Amino acid sequence: MALVWRTLRSMRTALVLLLLLALASVAGSLLPQAPNSPERVVDYLADHPVWGELFLRAGFFDVFGSWWFTLVTVLLFVSLVSCLIPRSRAHWRALRSRPMQAREIDAFKRYAERRVTAPPADAAAIARKVLRRRGFRVAADPTLPALAAEKGLVREAGSLVFHWAFVLLLVAVVVGKGTGYTGQARIVEGETFTDASFNYAGQLRAGRFFDGDHSGAQVTLIDYRDAFGDTGVPMDFQSEVRFTSDDGATTRTEVIRVNHPAVFDGVRYFQFGFGWAPVVEVVRNGTTVREDAIPFVQRQTAPEGVSQLAMPWNGSVKLPATDDREPSHAIELTLWPDGRALAGFVQTGDPIPMTTEFDPVLQYTLWEGTLTDLSLAGLDTSGMRRVADGLIGADQTVDLERGCVVGIAPAEDRFGTACDPGAPAGLTMRFPDLRQFTVLQVSRDATVPYVLGAAILILVGLLPALYVSRRKIWVRADPDGAGSMLKVGGFALQRKERFEEEFAKLVDALATATGGASAHEREMVGT
Amino acid sequence: MTPLELNDTSNALFNVALFAYVGAMVASFAFVAFRARALAWASTVVGAAGLAANLGAVITRGLAAERFPWGNMYEYSMAMTLVVVAAYLVGVELTYRIRTVGGPVYAFVVFTLAIASLFFYVPAGPLLPALNSYWRQIHVTSMITSSSLLGIGCVLTILYLLRDRSERRGVARLQAHEPPPIMGAAVDTELPPDYVPGDDDAPAPSPRRIGLPSAATLDRLAYRFISFGFPIWTFGVIGGAIWAQEAWGRYWGWDPKETWSFITWVVFAGYLHARATSGWKGRRAATIALVGFVSLLVTYYAVNLWIAGLHSYAT
Ligand code: HEM
Repeated sequence: MALVWRTLRSMRTALVLLLLLALASVAGSLLPQAPNSPERVVDYLADHPVWGELFLRAGFFDVFGSWWFTLVTVLLFVSLVSCLIPRSRAHWRALRSRPMQAREIDAFKRYAERRVTAPPADAAAIARKVLRRRGFRVAADPTLPALAAEKGLVREAGSLVFHWAFVLLLVAVVVGKGTGYTGQARIVEGETFTDASFNYAGQLRAGRFFDGDHSGAQVTLIDYRDAFGDTGVPMDFQSEVRFTSDDGATTRTEVIRVNHPAVFDGVRYFQFGFGWAPVVEVVRNGTTVREDAIPFVQRQTAPEGVSQLAMPWNGSVKLPATDDREPSHAIELTLWPDGRALAGFVQTGDPIPMTTEFDPVLQYTLWEGTLTDLSLAGLDTSGMRRVADGLIGADQTVDLERGCVVGIAPAEDRFGTACDPGAPAGLTMRFPDLRQFTVLQVSRDATVPYVLGAAILILVGLLPALYVSRRKIWVRADPDGAGSMLKVGGFALQRKERFEEEFAKLVDALATATGGASAHEREMVGT
Repeated sequence: MTPLELNDTSNALFNVALFAYVGAMVASFAFVAFRARALAWASTVVGAAGLAANLGAVITRGLAAERFPWGNMYEYSMAMTLVVVAAYLVGVELTYRIRTVGGPVYAFVVFTLAIASLFFYVPAGPLLPALNSYWRQIHVTSMITSSSLLGIGCVLTILYLLRDRSERRGVARLQAHEPPPIMGAAVDTELPPDYVPGDDDAPAPSPRRIGLPSAATLDRLAYRFISFGFPIWTFGVIGGAIWAQEAWGRYWGWDPKETWSFITWVVFAGYLHARATSGWKGRRAATIALVGFVSLLVTYYAVNLWIAGLHSYAT
């Protein structure tokens, strides 16, 4: 009794803990979460200074990584295990012991007697066979022509499998997340990314116990392709990449598509996103200061009902001064990969999704002053003065300070103004090429197969735990003239209303097999 | 037919189904109020006709879009009502010969379809590549099926709570030697002799009685649907995790949709435990199921509408 009480108690504890996890998850889904959307957390903090501060302290912006979420998980784990161990032991004992005999069969919930022709010993032997055939575990009474039988132990077995599998799932998830990492690799066509911490530029999420041991594999983007439907609906994204192992010994070429990841050196690579990377060449006083492909991002979110593909792409080039007396420069750039979209937008104001490269155009603004931040992140122009702006098409060269196109006749100019010939250009920019980049999600999680295995076991255990019922039957054959009086009693622990029918059928089967009348025949005779 | 014509056919069948379900709902409520057998038959026949139209709408929608017709909220809603009505007709009317709970079930269905047609309608079209995976079909199919079953279970739970309250009042009145009320005649105040809430052993539903089934029957029926829906929900969540692993490189990311499907799962696991725990059977367990229902609705509607996540790039 004490054991039952304790079990119930800990089951209640586990339930409360489980509901706590659910409650914490509610908070996690309503408040912005730093790992998923850091910008929204910053916005929230700005909008709600008091509550934001409070939530921040309590870890509400990273619920699933907070210490208290971990604590509840661990407590749940302990509670589960501590109640599963005695339950498993008890079940093990039940499996090995034989069904217990009973004396007062007629005291059970269901009870029936039938007069049969077989003598008691034979009747018991036959009843044993009938019960066996119906999947009961049967034990014969050593002293009497009587049997004890039971069925449905698989319910408890299933329940145990389910609960243990849940424990396994918890452990596998925690270990996998704890020792693995996830990051995003941004690779421009023709360039190579190496799987190493510093290459993720703050985009890496490593588990608590990750030892920093990246694979060091090199990933070269050979080609990026995509396909769009008529209305700008994306149909396919694929990245053709070449993997090279850290030691250079193995190389392999793969096409990574949405839903078709690649695995190399134990690390998985998934197609995650894409973008445009214009190549710009900046020349200052005759020296080339920049010549590379710059991955652009979309700063503007498309308004309701407009495809995000209609939005232009943003980037910048920062040119710190070479000596203290000179000001620094920055070029703010906006890319329209499909020039028709810019023209359409200017003429009609209608956004047009840009799915392919067609007459690409860059809008530029030259700023002069002090640069506050030299990183690749966005440009802060607060301490700067706007010098000039304009447009540049593919393969053109612009004089940034005057905002005009160099080396073309005025009649050829489609976007901006042609420069007066002969004037010296101090700072020029060329736009020789437009490339694309891919974003790959890179992750290592060693326990995925265990998580899957546990999930399958959860399902396998759940079915008998929910649908099988445990039933017990006792049979005794007392002498009655030349034959015997067959007494059958029993009960079910679950699905009791179904058992009523099953019990009636079973009694019938027992009676017919031992030479008695079936219920149907008895009705005919009118007894 | 061209995709456009198929799309129009689907919309027309959708409206037919919606009106048929409204008819079935009205007939079913009228049956409980006036106890005329013909009304019960009318409800069944009109409901079955609605089911046929609903099926037609789903099929023509799939033909119009040239894919499985569950790619957005409008289509989920349509598929869900299909499963709800089919499960109700087979699982309640045919199996248990209970015809008095159709009104609330159809009300749930009508509500779902009305919301879908008012807020979620989009013409049939292709899917984003992230949504093209057979795991997606498996995941979505199981989520639709299990939501429907859990939904019916919860509607029955609400009826159970109402009925249980009136039975308790009836007992209290009998004990106070008050005559039973004349108003509210549809409510049967007879209490099963040895009724224990949550007990499977309570008397089986009588096929010939008119009026809401007894609280014990409603409770057991609700449990049937929930315990049938729960493993399918479990399977659906696992399928979703497998799909997420393939598509996004992580099987679980606490995306709002994932988070809420976990919450719903936990709450219904709580219900199953409560029902197996003495002292928690009956009304307490039913209350947990109601929390589960709210959670189900949040998972289904609120997350898609107000809480953005990776899943929302379905729209
Ligand atoms: C200390 C922790 C727990 C204990 C002691 C416990 C105990 C039990 C027991 C005794 C049963 C069998 C009920 C029956 O056969 O009628 C059961 C069933 C079940 N448990 Fe747990 N449980 C625990 C935690 C959990 C957790 C964490 C989950 C997962 C969310 C869970 C989900 C289930 C489910 C789905 C069933 C099947 C319900 C049924 O058989 O009707 N349990 N549990």
